Amino acid sequence: MDLNKLPNDKKLELCRNYFKVGCVFLPFVWAVNAVWFFNDAFKKPPFDEQKEIKKYVVFSAIGAIIWIIVLSVWVAAFQLNRVAWGSVGDSLSFILPLGRA
Amino acid sequence: MNFYYAFIVCVTYLTQVSQCERLHGQIYSSIEGSAACFRRLNGTHQMGCSSSDGGAVGIVQMIKDVEDAQWIIKNSTSGPYIAVVSTSLFQSVINMLIDDPSNVAGVLLYDNATMRPSSFSQESKCPNEYSAAPGSTCSSSGDTVWNTKGTGLLRKDIPFPIFFVPDSKADEIDKIEKCYNRYNLDKNNQVGVPLCSVQLHSFMYAAVNSAVCLRRSASSAFLTPTKVCDPLGDYNVYYSLFPRAQENETDRKPVTFVTARIDSASLFDGVAPGTASSVVGMVTLISTAATLSKMIPVADEKLYANNILWTLFNGESFDYIGSQRVAYDISRGSWPPVNPLSLSDIKLHVEIGQLGGSLDLFKDNVTWPLYAFTGNMLAEEIIEFLNDMTQTGNLTVSPILTSNLPPSSLHSFKRILNVTDMPELLLVDHRETFANMYYESALDMSDTIDYVYHNLTVGTNGEFIPTSDLLSKGNMTDKEPQVKISRVANALAQTLYKRVTGIPFVGVVDTSAHMVDEMLQCFLQTPSCRLLRAADFMSADHNTADRPASLYVGVATWASTPAVYAGHLLALLTGVHLGSNKTVCDELSEPGFSYYYLRGWNNTGVCVQTTMNFSQAVSPAFIKSDYDFTSNEFSTWTESVWQTMWARVFVTAGGSGAKLAGVTGALATIIAAFITYWLSVNSAVIFATSLDAPNPILRTVNC
Repeated sequence: MDLNKLPNDKKLELCRNYFKVGCVFLPFVWAVNAVWFFNDAFKKPPFDEQKEIKKYVVFSAIGAIIWIIVLSVWVAAFQLNRVAWGSVGDSLSFILPLGRA
Repeated sequence: MNFYYAFIVCVTYLTQVSQCERLHGQIYSSIEGSAACFRRLNGTHQMGCSSSDGGAVGIVQMIKDVEDAQWIIKNSTSGPYIAVVSTSLFQSVINMLIDDPSNVAGVLLYDNATMRPSSFSQESKCPNEYSAAPGSTCSSSGDTVWNTKGTGLLRKDIPFPIFFVPDSKADEIDKIEKCYNRYNLDKNNQVGVPLCSVQLHSFMYAAVNSAVCLRRSASSAFLTPTKVCDPLGDYNVYYSLFPRAQENETDRKPVTFVTARIDSASLFDGVAPGTASSVVGMVTLISTAATLSKMIPVADEKLYANNILWTLFNGESFDYIGSQRVAYDISRGSWPPVNPLSLSDIKLHVEIGQLGGSLDLFKDNVTWPLYAFTGNMLAEEIIEFLNDMTQTGNLTVSPILTSNLPPSSLHSFKRILNVTDMPELLLVDHRETFANMYYESALDMSDTIDYVYHNLTVGTNGEFIPTSDLLSKGNMTDKEPQVKISRVANALAQTLYKRVTGIPFVGVVDTSAHMVDEMLQCFLQTPSCRLLRAADFMSADHNTADRPASLYVGVATWASTPAVYAGHLLALLTGVHLGSNKTVCDELSEPGFSYYYLRGWNNTGVCVQTTMNFSQAVSPAFIKSDYDFTSNEFSTWTESVWQTMWARVFVTAGGSGAKLAGVTGALATIIAAFITYWLSVNSAVIFATSLDAPNPILRTVNC
């Protein structure tokens, strides 16, 4: 879809929907939202809906970044400690490694 | 049309004439008949070997002396290497390779019957050290040890795979050596040249310890419901002289408990001959039971107030699995399942322990000195038993009074039942240290006891030639192991006869060395032997394997054959042969007896009434809920699951072809890039088109 061909009110609606969908634990949608509407929020000449779009873009970006930090910390902690956690580590694993700890 | 036919004929002819071997077959030659070292785990550690998932690949290096092994570790230029080593050098180099495994991909061990080592045992110096009863002074790190030649490799985590090629597959080693001589002889020039290599694949699923692998096997995570290990275990065999089922609590006959072990072990899958480790003891027990059953018919049970309970334990190599289970079951009053035994019923426990190790030492003598270890010499039963045995059999059985008993099931009973005063006796043929130099190894074969099969005819009703006839006719000499074993069995039978009846035996029954000869053949040479054929179920197809059955206990989920063989032999040789046909036989059900319709000596089928039965030999650790695997109370051994085990030899390319391909590819890319650039720069010159006429394709697309 080419955003340039969309009227501004539709843009706002789309951006708001993406933000809402991202709220149900879908940080990747927030990330897409932030990148996709970045130009409309910050680069384009001002238009009526720009302020609203800007708000959603900023919130989406902050949300996505928090998610990325939380996930990276968890992944690192899990990978480093899975063996040490013993049975907890095994229960948290989706695929158990064969032939090693 | 003629041309078309000619073409078809030509193609058909060519495909038939040319050797259509697959490329895979042209590159690899598989090493057949090898046995891999695999992974076993206990409560705290993993032991044994595993390759990586794809198999271990290494350059072949024939180890002719210790320097060759040192060269791999220190001076080699390529690598990693697969060390091809004979059993005679294995023990000198293996620790060196394990300590510095960075350049070692694996080891291929081969047996050469002409140059066997004088000792070969991968068992620890103190077998089952951590399951020993209080009073044992054997310590692997100390000076007093039983298995002086033991290297303990069986209890080590080995960082690379090891495969064993038996002597019967010597041509496989010749194949590798030929390849080695052709490509690898020049040790200083191994970079960038084709080299003979071997790939060993034995990837093990389990890791860490039994608790972890059982937990992982039990978890049924989505996509990976993989079982990674199984508890070790099999079946114990027990048989009582008189049926015990009808006895009630008050008039239970006291029993003499006579035991031996079935199993042996080795580092390699499917190779556990256990000649002097377990077979001689087991054969002695079965022969004694057979003899005693002829001396005292089961019909006479009302006449006597004593009974004999014979038991063959399985899994004893791995922390006494079988005897621990029996002792545990006795402690909770559930063994045997029918009319359970209580500790007070056992008046004497005689274990026929490790016999056969010194047979080679005494091969030129008629004598075969035995030793009877006991923790409580003063018990009347013991003194009487030993006196009877030495007198009746004209044997030398030297008593040894000590609390430091050699590895045997006695440890389990003392430990689990907490008994200190039960009269017990362990019959072995060694003194302070094992006489068997090949204890629980792949080389504990029939030559350890100098056994030679005589192939004498068995009578149509299973009559064996009496030992005296064999000796007088010169079929056997009294220096042979068969005769010596039969004499021990005979002395034991007569002693036990006196224990049951109270009077010495005066009849003519005698343990035939011929029977021992046949039985040893079944366990040491081939399960496709006369005795096992006769003892097999009538309906079963007879085993036609031509190599000895592995006596390794195996995993509990899979019944292995040795216990079944031993049980059926006991049934055939001690049971009452009834005249019934199969239909009648299957319907017979007298309490205390089992009925087996076996093939019999004439292949016509015979209905055998016996008290023989099987009981589970699975460690209590696996049946007790919430058992702490680190507590060391019971055996916790498990065996890893694996998919396949194979080994193959091939020649790795020197790498020049691959380099050439890489360089050509890179050049082609650079040239292509250059041409593209040049074309795009000069496109106006080459493709002279009018700029006014827009590209028709672009015009139709409206993005």
